[in-house]
Amino acid sequence: MRRMDIEDVFSSRLRMKILRILVRVGELNGSEIARRLSVNYVTTSKHLKTLEDEGILVHKVFGRICLYRLNERSPKAKAVQTLVETWEQANKQ
Amino acid sequence: MSTRRSVFKDETKLDINYIPYKLPHREAELRLLMEFFSFALQSPEKMAQRVVITGDVGTGKTALSQRFGANITNEANKRGTSLRYIHVNCREYHGSLFLILQHAISIFHPNFPKRGYSAEESLNAFVQILDEQNLHVILALDEFESLIEREGSEAVYKLTRLQEARQNKPQRLSLISILRNLTAIHRLDASTRSTLQSNIINLGKYSKQQLADILNDRASTAFKPLAVPEDTVGLIAELAFSESGNARFGIELLWRAGKYADSADLDTVPPECVRKAVSSIIPAMRKSDLADLGFHERLFLLGIARTLKKNEKAYVTFTEAERSYAVVCEELNTTPKSHTQLWKYLRNFSALGIVEAAVVTGGSRGRSTGIYLPRIPAEELEKELKTLLEKQEM
Repeated sequence: MRRMDIEDVFSSRLRMKILRILVRVGELNGSEIARRLSVNYVTTSKHLKTLEDEGILVHKVFGRICLYRLNERSPKAKAVQTLVETWEQANKQ
Repeated sequence: MSTRRSVFKDETKLDINYIPYKLPHREAELRLLMEFFSFALQSPEKMAQRVVITGDVGTGKTALSQRFGANITNEANKRGTSLRYIHVNCREYHGSLFLILQHAISIFHPNFPKRGYSAEESLNAFVQILDEQNLHVILALDEFESLIEREGSEAVYKLTRLQEARQNKPQRLSLISILRNLTAIHRLDASTRSTLQSNIINLGKYSKQQLADILNDRASTAFKPLAVPEDTVGLIAELAFSESGNARFGIELLWRAGKYADSADLDTVPPECVRKAVSSIIPAMRKSDLADLGFHERLFLLGIARTLKKNEKAYVTFTEAERSYAVVCEELNTTPKSHTQLWKYLRNFSALGIVEAAVVTGGSRGRSTGIYLPRIPAEELEKELKTLLEKQEM
């Protein structure tokens, strides 16, 4: 599978928002992410899939519930986490 | 800045949520509980246990279970065994199996969704989590009556027969059911009952001497040396004994008496402070009963108290109470709960003995429900509720 370039992943406002949310809260189900983004579930799922295909996110299924979180084994996810945390820290100062 | 002197060394040791290291006069029961669960320290995956703890208010049921939970968890950690103790007060979760399980799940996944699935699905999710973490959980269900009352046999059956649907898989869930007596369990169907009743630990009423021992033990950790004279402990033990041997009542009284001593700037807690403390405690109703109520339950009760104070009648009708509650909600800028929910609250108040509800006739509107406050002046109840609500806001 062809991997996306960084600018393609980060070019989406919604994908960045998803990453920010998950860095902040750890893990969340798709519907709740959609609610926090104020967009519909289908759009959210599409972006979640993209991030998952890139190895940045992973999910865990509990029956009908699917929880997404950053993939702790992925260096990309670690870089995203550092980026978001550093950015938010700097904004607070 | 002047430092005020205090008779207390550490008043948190008298808090309702404090779990004492020593449980005077409950040592045998603690050992028995450890014995029932000894398998969990060696091979927790091979079996599951069910224990029922019964006893009146203030006989140490919760303290016993929580001390056991802390001890067995420490021991399991030392041995590297995957074991966890989870204590849930069923009444806090309105007796709903779904909410109880959701609380248990949230310990492992704090952002697990709060709606959109059934109690059965949450039970499956909980077991899946335990499987993934290779963990055995001892789930203590305090105020178990509340679960039975709301959910009946089916929920209890689901919990106790969990393993039947997962044969040859590791055992993951043991249960401790804590309740006042076995009456509620007798309401369950025979097959569910049989899964619960094998190990019963009944905690009898404390004697006066036993209450004095408990109070002395707590006083030694909560108060400065020699701050609580023997006479004071004796008087509190006497009073707690007359309250059906309720140790929790005695400990609360000890704390209050200490507060009176502090406010009078005394070095010790004389019996006179106990007498003052007793007269300040709402008669026949414990502060803990009010403290256990939910936010809107407190608001509804406040509405009832206010109306009774204002109209000086013996009772308030349900409609009047509902109206007054709506005003309280407006003052606090919160949306009132539905009519049906208020009926449920009223049933709970009746069960706790806070109010009495009876059909009243008369007037042009025919029959209606009258709410009485049989044991407490409306003004005192209002004051107590306001204090609780202020504490909650802080």
